[in-house]
Amino acid sequence: MREVVPIIDNASGELVDAEIFDEVTLTHFIETQAEWRPIVLAAARALSQKPNQGMLIPRHFHWDWTRKEAALKLLAVRFYGIAFEGRLQGIMKVETVAHTCRLPEQQGKPLVYIDYIEVAPWNIKVLMTAMGQPQRFRAVGTRLFEAAVQQSLEEDFRGRLGLHSLPGSEGFYINECGMTPVGRDPHKENLLWCEFTPEQAERYLSGE
Amino acid sequence: MNPKRTMTLNLTDQEMSVLDELSVQKDLSKTALIRQALRLYQMVDARISRGEKLFFEDQAKQKAELMVL
Repeated sequence: MREVVPIIDNASGELVDAEIFDEVTLTHFIETQAEWRPIVLAAARALSQKPNQGMLIPRHFHWDWTRKEAALKLLAVRFYGIAFEGRLQGIMKVETVAHTCRLPEQQGKPLVYIDYIEVAPWNIKVLMTAMGQPQRFRAVGTRLFEAAVQQSLEEDFRGRLGLHSLPGSEGFYINECGMTPVGRDPHKENLLWCEFTPEQAERYLSGE
Repeated sequence: MNPKRTMTLNLTDQEMSVLDELSVQKDLSKTALIRQALRLYQMVDARISRGEKLFFEDQAKQKAELMVL
């Protein structure tokens, strides 16, 4: 799968053509470690040294995508990447068998589970602000999220989708995406489990 | 969407009836259900091949190891 999708150039506010694909390889994982991680860590360090900014440090600062190499071979796992002019701007890992729906009206039914989603540090406003630089692109995470909803439809899961939200992203998933906050999960660092029903997924894709 | 290939699957009446039942229960087409089963089998097999074990836990927190062939 390889499609052109629009993302927003933050400097001009204009839409630009990026490419979303699911042929993710170890090379992409290495790219995140080599190009993203040093910036994420430097920004996290800068935030930690500023008064009252420590809570802005993204919880994903320690992620290492290269450790997910074994999952590249699994049918139940799919990775998506977004690139602009050949440079990776975002990456996502989804699973289709390890989790099922928790909302009472769809309990036990299959869903697409977003296991990890990360955008390049230069596309995260809080990190770039800490580094004294402008954010490069917007809507990268949104395009990845849409791909997960689309996969749920293709899988015959009718748009059902679930994820454990990091604390800093709860507002995005609940208010902007319209997901239902189901509850904290004591088995997953007490993160908030959020879920889409088919109706919510349809509303989300139609832009209502 | 990635390209797909077609195959014929021969099932006994009993197997087909389980497939029908699970399809309704999970709100999935039979094709999607078989695809899910294959994914699950591969994931479990990969982890067991790495030396991991698969356990089920009942409501009393008793664990039972599941042997997968």
